[in-house]
Formats: sequence, structure tokens, C-alpha cells
Amino acid sequence: MTRLQRPTFWLPLLLAAGTVLIAPLLPGQDPPLQRHALALLISLTVALSGYLFTAMVRPERF
Amino acid sequence: MTTLPAQPIFPRMPRGRRDQRRYTPRPRQKGLVRRAALQAFVKLDPRIAVRNPVMFVVWCGTVVCLLATGMPNLFGGGAENSGRVFNGLISLTLLATLLFANFAEALAEGRGKAQADALRRTQARTQARLLDPQGGGERLVDSSMLRRGDVVMVSAGDTIPADGEVIEGVASVDESAITGESAPVLKEAGSDVAGSVTGGTRILSDQLTIRITADPGKGFIDRMIALVEGAERTKTPNEIALTVLLAVLTQVFLIAVATLPPLAAYLKEPTPVVTLVALLVALIPTTIGGLLSAIGIAGMDRVAQFNVIATSGRAVEACGDINTLVLDKTGTITLGNRLAEEFLPVGGHSEVELAQVAYGASAFDQTPEGRSIARLVEQRSSVVPFASLPVALDGASGIEFSARTRMSGTDAADGSEYRKGAVEAIKGFVRSRGGTIPEDLDATYEQVSRLGGTPLAVCRGGTIFGVIYLKDIIKPGIRERFDQLRRMGIRTVMLTGDNPITAGVIAREAGVDDFIAEATPEDKIAVIEGEQKLGKLVAMTGDGSNDAPALAQANVGVAMNSGTQAAKEAANMVDLDSDPTKLIDIVTIGKQLLITRGALTTFSVANDVAKYFAILPALFAGIGLGPLNLMGLASPRSAILSAMVFNAVIIPALVPLALKGVEFRPLSAEQLLRRNLLLYGLGGVITPFVGIKAIDLAIAALGFR
Repeated sequence: MTRLQRPTFWLPLLLAAGTVLIAPLLPGQDPPLQRHALALLISLTVALSGYLFTAMVRPERF
Repeated sequence: MTTLPAQPIFPRMPRGRRDQRRYTPRPRQKGLVRRAALQAFVKLDPRIAVRNPVMFVVWCGTVVCLLATGMPNLFGGGAENSGRVFNGLISLTLLATLLFANFAEALAEGRGKAQADALRRTQARTQARLLDPQGGGERLVDSSMLRRGDVVMVSAGDTIPADGEVIEGVASVDESAITGESAPVLKEAGSDVAGSVTGGTRILSDQLTIRITADPGKGFIDRMIALVEGAERTKTPNEIALTVLLAVLTQVFLIAVATLPPLAAYLKEPTPVVTLVALLVALIPTTIGGLLSAIGIAGMDRVAQFNVIATSGRAVEACGDINTLVLDKTGTITLGNRLAEEFLPVGGHSEVELAQVAYGASAFDQTPEGRSIARLVEQRSSVVPFASLPVALDGASGIEFSARTRMSGTDAADGSEYRKGAVEAIKGFVRSRGGTIPEDLDATYEQVSRLGGTPLAVCRGGTIFGVIYLKDIIKPGIRERFDQLRRMGIRTVMLTGDNPITAGVIAREAGVDDFIAEATPEDKIAVIEGEQKLGKLVAMTGDGSNDAPALAQANVGVAMNSGTQAAKEAANMVDLDSDPTKLIDIVTIGKQLLITRGALTTFSVANDVAKYFAILPALFAGIGLGPLNLMGLASPRSAILSAMVFNAVIIPALVPLALKGVEFRPLSAEQLLRRNLLLYGLGGVITPFVGIKAIDLAIAALGFR
């Protein structure tokens, strides 16, 4: 149960979900690899932003 | 009162006369750089990198760039593809940025670990003779088995197994293992200033019975080891505030860079992902992000090298914000030993009579003052016939000085009460015995006080015989130190048991801002609380059990190693050299830590300006931002690469400054801010312009376009 609460477990799932959701919305990226790579990059940026937000509210953990 | 000639102070680090003292041996630096270089790679582990928000963003950017190097078309072909070579070079500079930041941290940690090893060497495991509380016998146990409350016996030649309090015996102890001072110190039971012992020190003579006061791994040295090693280093309030600021800046720039691609696409100026990563890394404060933890660790290291044991980084940092110093006069402002200078008889008594009574009152007084009175009597033996001295002290008992009674003396077997002490206290004693106060006593008292000396009235029963003039010697250079502290905005308050006239003369001579005369231990707490209510941070030193509440109340309490266990427990720092003047030095170390952090943050943020002028024209030359290329950089690619290389190399270039600390100058906060803004703000703007241009010229010379 504690394993499920760890970011190392749910973060990759969220990234994958984000990639799958965002990829169809990207126009003009013909090869699926490029489209999914860009979608993953956007998901990563959002995750990074969340991570920085955590650093702002819980700085003592960093 | 005498003032000795001043000596140079604050040359760079706080030193003064202590530069001749042998401090905790400098740790071995051999192999430090090699180990730090290896650690820099180990710290690339994302589980470690994630603890530093700014550098973790760089870590993520490096991964993206490495992917783009392996597959240049991964994030788009055409204009979005900046080429494998360029991507590879950017990846390498980002990797170098991470490694340099890791190296700075590992180097500071390595120095801390070496310092910890030097401290640990003082903690050799030894066999202890543990006394059985029931049977009274003793058995040999390993020192690591000792617990708080255990009672052990140590004899000449033994190493003291753990921190403790002397409960029986008198012995001389070699404390050079922890203080570097080779002269042995006397330890005795029941003493307020010599009753505690530190594990790792060695008994040179006699024997002591010691009650252990710390469980294994919980002693002062253990706490300091954990602190300098970084094992128990928690972020200080300043570090937390700076972490938030850096996270906010990074977040702002991340959002700004993330919104650029749609804008660029609209303007028909598509931007490669690698260039966006380079822009992000150039904009976020990587310099301070990479050096922040190194600065904190190095600050703790400096305190340890100064022979001060701090129980937390918070305490060291609080030193930098101190507004008020509460200082004991004796030992801090004046040399500890006041010496009897003259006998001044009153009430028609002769000097011989006064000397006899003073000798009787000092018969059991082993303090330097008491011994100096006996010495003065001996020096005056030509006027004081020894045969007439009160030698009938068989069966007599000594009355110890206390802060409450403010007098000491002897109760002779024949019922005579010899007393010496503060004039008001002796007056009260004499009145209680039905005596009268001589008319010329106050004049004599004022005469001594105006000289800055301490008048000690002397009486036998209800008769006052006169006053002993105790001479105070102000420490060399102390006035200049107080002047500098005033310029730094720090107020100094002197506490003394002396009368107001003496206290006033010494306060004026030493240059303190305020003084409390005839102070009791309660006054110390009252002064500290009063200052704290005004929103000020207060530092003080102390060594006695009666100082413990005030040490606990002060924001920075520095206990003397020679002090009682109660004082050491209450304080958040312990000075192994037992030098009260060091409080002033500790404040400068704390200030230096804060100034270093502030200066490098200013430099880091100011650095960004030049990077805007390097990267933005390179990114958007097509939409008319070309004229912003003020540096005349060779090409957009060389401009980005130059900015990235500069971003990486500035970190190791600043490592020596981060570890050594910015040069401290005793200036006010406004002056310091102005100076640092000029030096590190303006310098932070100009240096990258010069640096990036120079790197660009070198890159162009290598044929990269």
C-alpha cells in the first residue's frame, strides 16, 4: 500500500496517461514517435512544474 | 584601570590575538579533490539530484538534450532539428554544469568529513572503571557501553571515557586533544567553572569520580561530528527562504520558456527543443543553486575550525542576525583576574589593621582576587608584621562568594566574622551586626570607583576597616571591536556585579553601549527578554549553573567548555577554548555565512542579464531581435553554446569563494548591501558579458559556427 503512495509508482503512470491524452492534440507532427515524444515532453514539463510547486510549499524537504 | 595597547583586529576572518593559538588541527586535505570528483558522478543519481530543485531541472534538461543528441529528429524534423553535434555540445555543457555543482557540494562535504574525522580522533574508545552503585565495587567496561548517569573513576594517565561532571576529587586534565591548548587545566568537584570534563581528554594527576552526562553518540563532540558531516544537517530558516525563492524563479522561467514554442510558431520562427532547454538553464539561477549547500556546509566547517561546537546550523546562522551582545565584564571586557592594588583604610583604622582583616577574610579564598589580596599583604610585610596576622584560623570555616550575598569571608573559631565584598553588601552586614558605617567610607569607595577599579569593603563583625582597591585591566583592542560592532549595528550591553560608578567608568573606557551594574543572574534574563521583546536577537556567553536559564533564553548562547554541564546543556554552542571574547568572533562567522550566501545569490541573478543578450537575439534574430546582439557574437549557435559554457564554468570558478566565504568587513547593513550590490551585482552583470564574448571568440576560432 505504501508503495502505491510513492511518486516513483504513480508518476510514470501519470506521465504515460498525459502523453496518450496530449499526443492526438498535437498538429503537424506526422511520425507518431515525434508526436508522442513531444507529448511526453509537455507532460514532463507539467510534472516538473508540480515538483517546483512542491519545493515552494514544502522547502524543508529539499 | 589599565588599557593595554590595541592590536589589529578583523584582518580577514575574526582572529585578533587568537591567531597565535593552535586550533583544532586542520583536517588532512590529501585526496579530497579526487574523492569529490568521484562523488560528483555518484550525485548524478536522480534520487540524490531531486533534492536540489534548480539542479534537478538542469538534470531533466540534460536528459532531454542527450535524447535529442541520440535522435536529432525526436522532437521534430526541419527547423526544430538543431543537429547532432550542436545537441551533443549542449548536452556536454549541461552535464558539466551538473558535475561542477555536485563537485562543489562534495568538496564541502569532504572537508566537513575530514573535520569530523579530526574530531572523531579525540574520541578514542577506552576502558572505563564503572563504579557499582550498590556494592561499591568497580568493573572494567568499554567506554561505548557507558550510559547517562553511570559513575566512573579515572586516575592519572587514564583517558576520560565520556562527557561528564566531576562529583569527587581534584585533578589536572590535559584537554589539548580538543582545544589544542597544551597547558593542563584543573578539574574539581563542586566547582562552577571546572566541574565538567569532556570525553577524550586525559587525566595527568590524581583521580576523579565522574558522573556520565551523555549517552553514547549524544555528547557534544558527537553532535558536532554529525553536523559537520552533514548527516543531521537540517535546512536553516535562511536556506529554506532561499530555496523557496530559487524554486519560484525556476518555476517562472520554466513557464516562460514553455510558452515560447507556440509564440515562435505563430511568428514562423520555430525553436529547437535543445535551444529552449539551453535558454531555460541559462535563465534559472544555477550558480547559487549549485553552490547553496556547499556554502552552508563550509559555514559549519569554519565554526568547527574555530574550536566552537555548534549544536545546529540554525544557531550559526542566527549569529549573523544578532542585534545585541550581552557580555560579562570579567573575562570578556576585562582580563579575568582583578588584582589587589592598594589598601585604603577608613574610620581611623591603620593600613596594618586593614591588611590583617583582609588577610583573615581571604584565608579560604582561592580565587585569583583572594590570592592577590594575600600576595599584597605579603608584599607589604614591611608595614604588616606577619606575627600580628590572624593566624588563629584553626577550626575556622570559609564563606564562599555568591552572586546573592556579594561577599565572602571567614568565620574564625573564636567567633570573629571576617568579611570582604561589595560595599553595599558589607554595609548591610555591618548594620545587621549592630555596627556603624564610617563617614569616609563612601568617599573612599567613590575614589576607587572613579579610577575604574572595584572597591571591596572589609569588615570584622560590626566594624569596617577600609577598602581594597581591585584593579581591572581592559583587554587590548576591545574598544575597537565594540566600535566595529556598533558600525555593524550590534548593540553591546555589559553586565557586572560592580557598583554603578565603577561599571560606568569601565563601560566608557571599553566603549560598550550600555551597562547593568550590580547585576544578578535574574538581571541577565531580564535584559535578554527586554531586547527580544523589541524584536532583537540576543547573544550571550556564560559558564555557571546560574547562567543556564539566560543561555537558554538567548537566541545564541555560548557556554564555556570549562563551565558546568547545566550551562553547556542550555547553550546552543560550546567554546572549547573557554574564551568569552570569542562570542564576537562567532557573530562575524555567522555574518560572513549570510553575506556569502547573499553575495553569490546577487551574482547568480545578475548573471542572467548577459545571458538574455546572448540567447534571445540568437533565438529570434528573424523577428528583429538581432540588434540586441550587443556582444557581436559570431553566430546564434556559438552564442547559445558560449552562454552555456560560461554557465557551467562559473560554478567551479566560484567554489573557492563559496568555501572560504566572502571577505568580512565590519560595516552597517546598508553599507554592506551597497558594497555587495556594486561588487557582486554589477560584477555579476559585467563578468558574463566579458566571459561569454571571450568564449564565443574561442569557439569561433575553433571553426564552430
